[in-house]
Amino acid sequence: MIAFQAVSKRYGAHRALREVSFSVPRGQAVGLLGQNGAGKSTAMNILCGCLAPSAGSVTVGGYDVTMAPRQAKRLIGYLPEQAPMYDEMTVREYLKFACRLRQVEKRGMDAHLKEVMEKTGLADVAGRKIGNLSKGYRQRVGVAQALCGTPDALILDEPTSGLDPRQSSEMRALIRALAGEHTILFSSHILSEVQQICDRVIILHQGRVVCDRDLRESAGEKKPLRALIACGEQALLPALRSLKSVKAAETERGSEPGLTQVVLTPAAEGEPERELFALLSRNGWPLLRLTPVEDSLEEIFLRVTEREQD
Amino acid sequence: MGAVYRREMQSYFFTPAAYVFLGVFLTLGGIFFGVGNLAARSGNLLMLLAQLSYLWVLLTPVLTMRLIAGERRSGTDRMLYASPCTLTGMVLGKYLAACTVILLTVALTGVYPLLVAVYGKLYFGETAAAYLGLLLQGCAFAAMDLLLSCFARSQMTAALVGVGVNLVMWLADVLADASAGLVRSALNFLSLYRRFAPFVRGQLSLSSLLYYVLFIFIMLFLSVRVLDARRWSEAQS
Repeated sequence: MIAFQAVSKRYGAHRALREVSFSVPRGQAVGLLGQNGAGKSTAMNILCGCLAPSAGSVTVGGYDVTMAPRQAKRLIGYLPEQAPMYDEMTVREYLKFACRLRQVEKRGMDAHLKEVMEKTGLADVAGRKIGNLSKGYRQRVGVAQALCGTPDALILDEPTSGLDPRQSSEMRALIRALAGEHTILFSSHILSEVQQICDRVIILHQGRVVCDRDLRESAGEKKPLRALIACGEQALLPALRSLKSVKAAETERGSEPGLTQVVLTPAAEGEPERELFALLSRNGWPLLRLTPVEDSLEEIFLRVTEREQD
Repeated sequence: MGAVYRREMQSYFFTPAAYVFLGVFLTLGGIFFGVGNLAARSGNLLMLLAQLSYLWVLLTPVLTMRLIAGERRSGTDRMLYASPCTLTGMVLGKYLAACTVILLTVALTGVYPLLVAVYGKLYFGETAAAYLGLLLQGCAFAAMDLLLSCFARSQMTAALVGVGVNLVMWLADVLADASAGLVRSALNFLSLYRRFAPFVRGQLSLSSLLYYVLFIFIMLFLSVRVLDARRWSEAQS
């Protein structure tokens, strides 16, 4: 649906994007993650035709955004980082304008508007001036605007930035609900948000793609376990390593005397939790804590950005 | 284009912009008419229309300042760029909206010739020619100020630069008289008021008409080019 091929963008000497390539198949929800200035907004602006790439090409639904902008733009709805709002208009007038701009047929427009407003929870404020709405509602209007004309792909640039926790959780719920019907490319610098919404994450750092991974795949994998056990290391480690379902056991720093903190990497087969319990109870070693080690985006992110800096 | 035009028209009349424009123009127009025609018992409207044309210098930036610069400031331009509407369509939609307000304003001054026709003698042909000139002059200034609005980052700059450049275009005549050689002919060529002169004499000048049309075309064309060029050069704000 969306394909970046070796896209670069320069502003004078500054290189905002360097040979960025990735593609998003239809129906996938992809999170574009990166620090401020990593190139997320630039990539999105190029995708939406607001900026022209210095090199490379971007296609949407097979249409090149530079060569066939009209066809390409018809397929995307875009919510920029700064939501494009005309404060003097009411929500309904504004969305009507968005529909006309996106060449929605006059005949079905009212029904379409109603549908969009219901989806985004704006029906109650349809007659209010945008300038008088709260930030949370404004952001919804921004999403509604992107939905006008039922585009295949939604490009949302930091849709939750500046919202309070409740508003941003509502916004995430809204995006999740939309993810079924649309291809979504959504940017954020909040890692957990991407984990909640997206099927896949692409991390940009200094204008380069440094990580591209499928979150659903990794969700099915067995996670390593972190255990805190009241027992000396010398006795514990060999016993743990002898377990069939444990591939590796490593102690971690920071254990207090008499306590051992270990990370167990599970083998492909078996249930390490059960075996561990049996082993510990047999030996009378108290288990103080057992948690799965989340290979969180936070960790991935720190890892790749550190590697870059080295 | 239609969508942009409709939104601009809504915006003109939902915000004070169009009312300021109409109000100032018609108030001053009324004073000119009262002093120059009613008090002087003159049925000659050419003088009045010539005076009215000077109001464009101050007033067209009121209409054009937000067209591009305002949208850039508020970030709403991204919505237009990301839509299937072309840059040409967008510029034309905006320009035509400004022209509509100008046309409406000029149409409202139609009450003066009406009064003259009822209570005196109206030279219809001459007045019509001068009206056409007034309209073209306004539209030409609007096109130029629209281009200036493309360069500006804020409405205020757009308006101030607009008034400044308008003044230069107005004074080009005077400057031309004070200079010589190439500068003089260049200024003469540029001066919008030189093109206006035949109209206020009641003549329909084909060359002036063409000049205006071409002038407007070039200004709009440049506006589209400036906006397009920005897609290549502008850094993320």
